[in-house]
This record gives sequence, structure tokens and C-alpha cells, in this order.
Amino acid sequence: MRLSRDTAAFRLISHPSGAIGLILLILVAAMAVSAGWLFPAGPWTMVGAPRVWPGADPRFPLGTDSMGRDILTELFYGSRVSLAIGIVSALVSLVFGTLVGAIAGYYGRWIDDLLMRLTDAVQTIPSFLAAIAIVGVIGPSLTTITIAIAIVSWPMIARLVRADFLKLRSLDFVQSCRIIGMSDLRIIFTQILPNCLAPIIVSSSVLVATAIIVEASLSFLGLGDPNVMSWGTILNVGRQELRSGWYMTAIPALALVVTVLALNLISDALNDSLNPRLKERS
Amino acid sequence: MSKSNSMTLNRRSFLAGVSASALLPSALTFGTSAAAETVKMGGILHTTMWPTPTYLNAAITTAGTEAFLSPKMFDGLLGYDYGMKPKGSLAREWNVSEDGQRITFKLRDDVKWHDGEPFTAKDVAFTFMEVLKVFHGRGKTTFAALSAVETPDDHTAVFVLDKPSPAMMRALDSRESPILPAHIYEGTDIMANPANVKPIGTGPFKLAAYEIGANVVMEKNPDYWDEGYPRLDRMVVQFIADGSTRAAMLESGEVDAIFFNMIPAQDILRIAAEPGFVMEKRGFETMLSSQQMDFNLDHPILAKKEVRHAIAHAIDTKWITDNIWYGLGKPGKTPLHAGQTPFFTTEGVPAYPLDLEKANALLDEAGYPRKNGGMRFSLMLDPSPWGTESINASSYVREQLRQIGIAVTVRTQDFALFVKTVYTDRKHDLALYTAAMGVDPTIGVQRFYDSHSFKPGVGFSNGAHYDNPKVDALLEAAATEVDEAKRIEDYAEFQRIAMEDLPVLKITDIEMATIAADYVKDFTVDAIGAAGSLKQLWLDQ
Repeated sequence: MRLSRDTAAFRLISHPSGAIGLILLILVAAMAVSAGWLFPAGPWTMVGAPRVWPGADPRFPLGTDSMGRDILTELFYGSRVSLAIGIVSALVSLVFGTLVGAIAGYYGRWIDDLLMRLTDAVQTIPSFLAAIAIVGVIGPSLTTITIAIAIVSWPMIARLVRADFLKLRSLDFVQSCRIIGMSDLRIIFTQILPNCLAPIIVSSSVLVATAIIVEASLSFLGLGDPNVMSWGTILNVGRQELRSGWYMTAIPALALVVTVLALNLISDALNDSLNPRLKERS
Repeated sequence: MSKSNSMTLNRRSFLAGVSASALLPSALTFGTSAAAETVKMGGILHTTMWPTPTYLNAAITTAGTEAFLSPKMFDGLLGYDYGMKPKGSLAREWNVSEDGQRITFKLRDDVKWHDGEPFTAKDVAFTFMEVLKVFHGRGKTTFAALSAVETPDDHTAVFVLDKPSPAMMRALDSRESPILPAHIYEGTDIMANPANVKPIGTGPFKLAAYEIGANVVMEKNPDYWDEGYPRLDRMVVQFIADGSTRAAMLESGEVDAIFFNMIPAQDILRIAAEPGFVMEKRGFETMLSSQQMDFNLDHPILAKKEVRHAIAHAIDTKWITDNIWYGLGKPGKTPLHAGQTPFFTTEGVPAYPLDLEKANALLDEAGYPRKNGGMRFSLMLDPSPWGTESINASSYVREQLRQIGIAVTVRTQDFALFVKTVYTDRKHDLALYTAAMGVDPTIGVQRFYDSHSFKPGVGFSNGAHYDNPKVDALLEAAATEVDEAKRIEDYAEFQRIAMEDLPVLKITDIEMATIAADYVKDFTVDAIGAAGSLKQLWLDQ
């Protein structure tokens, strides 16, 4: 299949930061996919002496952590969990935020007031503290962490979608849909929503990045799921050795930086390529 | 630079040598100090503690910071030399009757409270009967047998016991049983008495200033009964929340010593390897604690002894001791802490060395073959969130048990929920935690094995639900046995049976360490260490 020159996809990969971001992200995704195949023993196996520095033993190019687990293996498996948590919680908050924003923006009046005050209320709570509180109360597991991240990150999407709906609902094409008797739901989902997808898509990649960071931060504080190997889990084990073995913290941190950077670059490129007014700029 | 250093050292050791030859008898009593050092008087000791104290009086709480602060300002009846050998403090001499039910203490007659009032036997009677037996967390059980304290004269106190209680004689130091002034507390609401934060004691230090949440400053008590002590002028204790900040304060010289393992083990070892610091592992005989794992015997699979033996064979306690505890401890061998001399023994006690093959074979025999997924059954493991060591150890245990086909899920919760899950709801299969083992097995160890201490709702009781009449009888006999040789035999038999039945897997007998700048001298001179008065501590600068 050939890409035509004026599609958004083409603009994305020909955009310099988009290309770099995509390559990095594909690398991380490849780590996630190949983990089970490259390291069939799994991330928890204690394969060597604890606290082997990177390079000291050729069997462990990135060293071992304080439990004698291979950090390279942990990194590969960790990418699975970190990406999964990022994507799932971003999806959940995307769906919920879009619904709230669409309903509020489309119907206006008291529904708008109600939903926006709810959004305000959630937004006034510092999101990371709220995530700590939720996980602290319910107990850390993959599901609670995902839900906690979704709960604190949907208001941004809701505000974005509402603003677009407010603008679009008074336009002529929406009015004409109403006149021909289209149902509200159909107007919302088939007419207005496709027209405000651009900002949603752009912010969703930032959302994934934020979710990955929040999960890592929670794990760093010891609030991660102890039964899954995420980059945050590696960080949490490494943090206790910060003074004597900084590499245990630095390596997963680097992986986080690269992934979040990739997502942000992609988000930038998406913004440029989806925004028709900026078409000529790149 | 190095030249002038060695010059001063030479001059100093020369001078010290001269003075030591003149003052030989006193130099011998200085405990850990090398004989060739001259004691210097005065100076201020800076240290740090966490969390902030609620009271400054350890008679009504067992919290850690109070346990450090209170003994500086209050005295106990006795002190303990290495090996928990009793020595005099407020009591000059003491005498246990043949049946072990009357203990007579002859008290010092030259002791005054910080407010000038004389100290008498009435204070002793009041403290034990009205305070320690009522408000102290462990005092309720330690002094359960104590029915009255008679005071035939002002300087004699006679403890009358329902039954002999040899453990009690190990709990009379200033941390565990500080003597409070009856004239301040009598007839008041003891928990609400203002003296709880403005202590009036008999100890070598008096409270100079207390800024809630920030620091406590204590100054020398010039009228202290023990002539020549304390050696310091002041002691400043700052409350610092963050462990790595505390470590940095020691390295930068902001504090002179860190007691009670107030910094993580890896930092203690790292700093101890630097020049200018000394580490001391002694002086924690009254603060013994261990890491262990309860098997919930109400679980149908864990109720089988072979399964518990298999799990024990899969866990290398030495690995955990070396890597989770950084070698500050001894691999667990019996229910007792290795420091609980003379009762601890490994003679004839079953051991479970790492042997995955044997573990697998035991599980096959027990009737739990590997299913198609390779796993035999699954278990829930609850680690205590107190410190990070139990959580870290649970990660090791999960991986080891996976090797023998047991799928373990680790459930981390906050401390209150952990206690509720394990001891109230009993929803655990395995519970991994650290706990105090007590100055005597009766106080610290018995609770985990005695069937009478299976009390849902009570934290750190018999969480395994172990019930063996033979063990009950041995523990009960040992608790009241006056003859020490017989007591040792009772506990030896208990250790053998408990390690065969294995309701609890002992993982590590934790060792603690004090880390101090090398100019801090004599901070540990007996079994109690920094939980004592520190009146003998001096600064060589």
C-alpha cells in the first residue's frame, strides 16, 4: 500500500520528531513483544550474585539488582507492564473524559454545569496525591493502579472535548442534522466527535506518557503491584541502593525517559500533522 | 598533613599511657574504651531519632523514640552487663527467695528526684502496681504474676509474686521499667499528667528544652547519685523523618552518632567502612528481634507438615540474611533469637537446608503433584510493611516457591490492614514479618507458639494457630521455673519440637548496630547499650 503524500500518516513519519519518536516507540514495543522469547525464564529468576555492576559480568550486560535478578531481563519484561498500564489507563480516561465532555458540551445548561463542576472538583485535587490515596486505600494491584491513573487523568480530556463541542454544536452542519431529525447520540458520535478527534489524538499520547510516569512514581514509593515487573518495580528495588548502586535506578529511569520522550515527540508531530492550519509549516 | 596527624596521635597515646598507669583501677571499669585513653568530661552529643515522641516517659509506652529518651532521665531498679547479668542501679542489692515468689530490693538512700524530693520505696511500689502493670504495653504480661509490692521501710521494696517469674528479673532496666515519682503522679490521670512531657526523674540527665516535633535537649543532672556521671554536659536529639537525611547528617558531622538502627543497614555498613566512624553490634540484648514467616495452619494444605518442611527446604535463610539484611543478622535456626543466651540451642534441633529436589519430592509425597501448568497450588503471602525487609524477602520467597511449583501472590498493604488481615480476619496463608523476641523467651517468643495466645484480633500473637499440648506444657513450665538449668532444658525441648512441627519458619535473627564518629567513646558498655542512660559516654575532642 502506498501512502499518499498528503495523508496525516505520511506527514507524521516525514516529520523529524515524529520519525524519531516512532522509531523509539517501536523499539520499546519490540522489547515488550520479544521479552518472553529472548528471556524465557521470566524476570523474577535470581540468576546471579546480587548487585553485579553493569559490564562486570558478560552474562549480565546491565548488571543485577539487589535480589540477583538480571536487570536487562527486568527491563524487557518491565516494558510490557509499563506500556500496558499506560495504554489501558489512557484508554479508560479517554473514553470517560470524552463522554463527559461530549455530553456537557452538547447539551449545555444544567448538565454542563453539573458535569463541569464535577470535573473542576476532580481537577482541584492534586492528581498524583489522589492516585497515592486511591492505591493506598484499595491496595496496590495492576487493576487499582490503572483505575487510579484513569480517575485522575480524565478531566483534561473532558475539558478539551467540551470546548470543541461548544464550538461545533452551533455550526450549520450540526443545525442541519438536527433539522433532518437525527438523534442526539448520532449527532454526537457521527457528526461532531470525528471533527474534534485531532486534539484528542494528540493529547492521548501525552496521556499515555503521563500514565507511565505515574505508575513508575507509585512503584518508586512502594505502592506498585509487587507481583508484576514494571519499570517502577525496578526503580523501587534500586532506590533502596541509591547510594551504593545508582545504576539500578538509572537504567530503568533511562528507559522511562526514552519512552516518555518518544511519546511526546509523537504528540508534537501529531499536532503539527493533524492541524490543517499548520499544514504548510512542516 | 599526615605527618602532623601521626604526631598528635603519638603525643596523645603517650599522655594517655601515662595517665592510664596512674589510674589503672578506674581505667579497667571503662568497659569498651581501650585502657589507654583519658576520659574527657563535658561536651555536647548530637544525635537523631524518628518518629517524634508522644511522651518523654517510657513507662506508659513502648515506642522506639521514647525508649531512647526516657532512660536518660529516669533510672530503673537494675542494669544489665553483657549476657544480661543483672547489676545495681536504684537497687543496691536484691535477693530472690527460694520459691521464687518474694524478691527483696535494697534501694539506694542517696537518690533525689530532679525536683529535689527524695526517692523512696513508695515510688517503686507505685510505679509497678499503678503504672507499669496498667499502662505499659509489655508490662501487663511481664508483671502479670506480680501481686503486690511491700514497702517495710523507705529503702526496701519487696515484690510478692503469685508464681515465680524468672523473665521479670530481665525486665527491670530503665528502658523497660523506669521508676516514676509517686509524688508527681499519685492521684492524677497518669496518661494525661503534664510530667509525661516534662519528666521529673532520677536519671543522669534533666530535660532542658523540648520543642515538639523538632528536638529534645537534655542537660547534665549535677545532683546525680552516681558520682562522676554523666560525663556529657548536654545531649541534643533532633527528630528527622528521612533515613537518608539522617545518614547524611552523620557523614557531615551534624550528628555524632546514630543509635537504634535509625539509618538503613546498607548505609550503616557503607559509613562504617569510611574512615572516622566506628560500628558496634553489641548493646542490643534487650532489643532482640527476628524476621519470621507464619504458616496459617487452618489452611488445608499448609496443615500438612510435609508441605511446611518442603517450603522450608526451598528458602535459603542465609541468602535472605546476607542480601536482604546485608549480613546484619544470623540465619534463623530455632524459635528463639540466637542472642537469647543461655536458652538458645541448635542441639538436636531439625534444620532445613536449601534443597529444591527434596522440597519437590516432599510435595509430591504430600499428594500435590505438578499440574499441567507446572504449578501444584497457589498461596497468598502477606509481608508486613514495617521497614522494607519483609517486602523484599517476600519477593525472594515467591521466586523460590515458584521453583517448587507453588504460585505465590504477594499482597502489600499498610500496617494496620496487614495486622487486620493476618490477626483479625485470618485471611493469610503465609505472613512474613519482623517482631521483637523479648529480653526473655517468655516475653517475646512464647506468644507465637502457645495455644492460649491464639487470640484473633491481637496483633503478633499465635498467627499460625499452632496448638500442641506438649509445647504448651513446656512453655508454661519454663515461664515459672526457678532453676535455670531446668529452664534451659525446657526451652531446648521446646526448640526441638517447634522446629519439627514448624508452625513458624524463623528466617533471620536480626542484629542491630550503632554507628558513631570515632571520637564518641563508651557509647556501648553493657547489654542495654544506647537504651540505657549513656551516662558513661564521652567525647574525645
